[in-house]
Amino acid sequence: MFATERNFALLMVAPGLLVLLLTTTFPLVFLLWNSFHTVNLAMPFLDGFAGLDNYARMMADSRFWHALQLTAIYTFSSVALQLFIGLGLALLVMQISAGQWLFRIVAILPIVLAPVVVGLFWRTIMLAPEFGIIDFIFRILGLGQVNWLGSPTPALISVIIIHTWQWTPFAFLVLLASLAALPPEVFEAAKIDKAGAFQRFRYITLPLIRPAVVIVVIMRSMIALSAFAAIFAATGGGPGTATEILNLYAYKTSFVELNFGYGSALAVSLLVITICVSGLLFRLRTAHRG
Amino acid sequence: MTAKGHVSLHGIHKTFGTFEALKGIDLDIQPVEFFALLGPSGSGKTTTLRILAGLEAPDDGRIMIDGNDVTGTQPGERDVAMVFQNYALYPHMTLAANIGFPLKMDGVAKNKIPDLVRQAAARVKIDHLLHRRPGQLSGGQQQRCALARAIVRQPRLFLLDEPLSNLDAQLRLETRVELKKLQRSLDVTTVYVTHDQEEAMTIADRMAVFLDGDIVQVGTPDEVFNRPLSVHVAAFIGSPPMNLFAGQLEQGAVKVGDYEIKLPKSPDHAAGDVTVGVRPSHIRLSDHGLPARLYLSENLGESMLLNFLVDDQLVKVRLPEVRRFAENETTALSFEPEHIHLFDQKTGLRIGS
Amino acid sequence: MARSASKAAAARRNGFLIAAASLLLLIWVFPLIWAVIVSLKSESEVLAYPPRVIFEPTFQNYSDALFGGVSILPSLVTSLIVSTSTTILTIIIAVPAAYAFARLRLRGKKWLGFYTLATQMVPPVGLVIPYFLILNKIGWLDTFQGMVTVYLTFSLPFAIWLLVSYMEDIPREMEEAAFLDKANRFQTLWHIILPQVRGGIAVTVIFIFLNAWNEFLFAVQLGGNTVRPVTVAMFNFVSVEQTLWAKLSAAALVAMLPMIIIGIAAQKQIVKGLTVGAVKGGGRL
Repeated sequence: MFATERNFALLMVAPGLLVLLLTTTFPLVFLLWNSFHTVNLAMPFLDGFAGLDNYARMMADSRFWHALQLTAIYTFSSVALQLFIGLGLALLVMQISAGQWLFRIVAILPIVLAPVVVGLFWRTIMLAPEFGIIDFIFRILGLGQVNWLGSPTPALISVIIIHTWQWTPFAFLVLLASLAALPPEVFEAAKIDKAGAFQRFRYITLPLIRPAVVIVVIMRSMIALSAFAAIFAATGGGPGTATEILNLYAYKTSFVELNFGYGSALAVSLLVITICVSGLLFRLRTAHRG
Repeated sequence: MTAKGHVSLHGIHKTFGTFEALKGIDLDIQPVEFFALLGPSGSGKTTTLRILAGLEAPDDGRIMIDGNDVTGTQPGERDVAMVFQNYALYPHMTLAANIGFPLKMDGVAKNKIPDLVRQAAARVKIDHLLHRRPGQLSGGQQQRCALARAIVRQPRLFLLDEPLSNLDAQLRLETRVELKKLQRSLDVTTVYVTHDQEEAMTIADRMAVFLDGDIVQVGTPDEVFNRPLSVHVAAFIGSPPMNLFAGQLEQGAVKVGDYEIKLPKSPDHAAGDVTVGVRPSHIRLSDHGLPARLYLSENLGESMLLNFLVDDQLVKVRLPEVRRFAENETTALSFEPEHIHLFDQKTGLRIGS
Repeated sequence: MARSASKAAAARRNGFLIAAASLLLLIWVFPLIWAVIVSLKSESEVLAYPPRVIFEPTFQNYSDALFGGVSILPSLVTSLIVSTSTTILTIIIAVPAAYAFARLRLRGKKWLGFYTLATQMVPPVGLVIPYFLILNKIGWLDTFQGMVTVYLTFSLPFAIWLLVSYMEDIPREMEEAAFLDKANRFQTLWHIILPQVRGGIAVTVIFIFLNAWNEFLFAVQLGGNTVRPVTVAMFNFVSVEQTLWAKLSAAALVAMLPMIIIGIAAQKQIVKGLTVGAVKGGGRL
């Protein structure tokens, strides 16, 4: 019976694995192959094997290092903000006895919007100079005018805010669900044991929802590392290269400068970083178990 | 009519990783027998049942049903039905569809299925619930549905995996009786797994006692209760179980401490250390015997369970009537020679008859 | 006395909590509300300073977005075709694979499972670059089959993992009972497993459809005039018509309306999918 079970199992997974192999792994291998070649659609006569040239160029490329730095800032700060605001709000909403459904509904809205539309909304009706509503609010509050997407630091802050705005609900909903799933008896026991609100949070809630927190961090980091559409729509990486995270740099090198070889090398570096970060985070997750 | 449902297992071995679940068991179950597999959890009884069903493959050994080797066959080819501990009803189907599912899979003509389903449901008195889904039923009704699903296609072998364990105590007693009646009326070989020795004693024609992956005794409930073959079986069967004392076998008598019991005939065993077993209901309070101090008395309503301390050992005594006892009261415990079970202290095996 | 005082304190505390939470609520819902307001204004009204809250609403922008010169209707149809085909194809491939991963004995299952999970973590930019060259070579740029193929890269691993977690929840005895009832493996999958994971399949369908509908990077680079999903149409709208915000808002709201409806209607399922995915390490939203 179990020989046939294995055959049946193989029959079941084969199409899926074959498709994955063809659609994800093969292109990745091709990406790697390209990163060792000169592939320039503007100057195809130069194409050929380039060895480590693309990677050597990358090491010496200040724009790469700048993009790397931006990626780190962007990922770290947006994930941290999502986690803190999301957790805070989840704890807050848990205290409210009625109307939690309203929060859940509202929180779903940013999540279901296309990132490119979110980027466009913020770029136009929200943050545009003179006519954007944020600009208006700043002026009536007497905070002066900020060229949100037109000057480097505010632009970086803006894209981080946009990402945080869209994805904090994710952290909020996941953490709210895991808070709601905690057994109330544990908290009642802690109250009887004279634990204060903060102590209950520190010694009961936090350890119990730690798996959910770690997973939120892992998933949000992966997404932040490959965020594209919202930044692309809001700033296009600009002004200059002020919001050009590695993702955008690899994209622009390939599709604007048509230098696919170097673009591939940049994408490979992003891939390696993603693997390292996820490996690190997953290790953290297992290290805290047991 | 030749009786169907003769089952025999030969040298069945099964390991899970490093855990040796079955250490080479042999078993012979006669047609139409109600046979219980009894043992504590992890003793291998459920594994045996699952191997019989074909849900697990043995590492070694053969399974024969009615003279055919079915060791390598699929569960569906064995013509056996099973009731699972949690019933495993299909939650998305009505009771009628649940009970009819094996018929549908068996290729029974569509127009015949409703009648067969109704008959099976009527046997377990759930024919008024056929349009409901399992989620809308009580535990007892679900259990009946699982039974109906098993009997509907008239298998030659009926496997029950702790079918009563999810019912409350009252219902369990009622269902036990009905199950026995049902089995009699169906005339189908039934293998019944349970960890509850009382259940096995009351329901089974014969039973096999499992301990640590081995069958330690096979026999009728009477035999197992009255002639446990080893000290382990003695300690497992009976509620509360048999009291065991360290004793010395001498010429024509056995001594527990200073208390000497004359034996009617000398057992065929060398003098020396033995284990002496006496059931709680076979101990009397008297003037002579083992000196004991009352530790705690439990009033069971129509009888009493007395916990005595003999030296530092707890001894349970069941008294057929209710009386008042003072704690720490001292008395002596005595027992008749015919109620004594003797076991070799080293091997744990029964001495004599 | 003491009791009423503590009651008042509790009420104050509750009021404060609600106020704080509502403020955050407003921050989330505001851009959408603002977009709705802007979409109902005329273009000149949009540029008025200070922005007016009281104005005469017009549905001109909506009719322009749908039926005007730069109608998004064809793009909506394109998005519908691409998202629906992706969803159907993914489910057909993912369900059997998930069943095998969740239930069957298979050599190297752990590694194959890890592989599936890992494919989900690939940054899209690492795929769009080779895909551009590959699809270019085989002539699949700006084709529906090309777009759906590329969309499988994110939908398939996600679907497999989400479905695995739902299938693992079904008690094993359910299948064993079916085997004893003479069902073969395929019948067991069809009659016993699938009906019980309908909810999980629904969640998976919602997620895939949502992700496919909202996808932008692949669409903008590997699509074109034939295959131009709404996300790309939105983007082009701003590039071409720099300041027509009212029309943009109207068009964007129309484009996102299906997602908003799905989101509100299936809110519970989406959260469940997020948390299931979260526990299992899946989920790409």
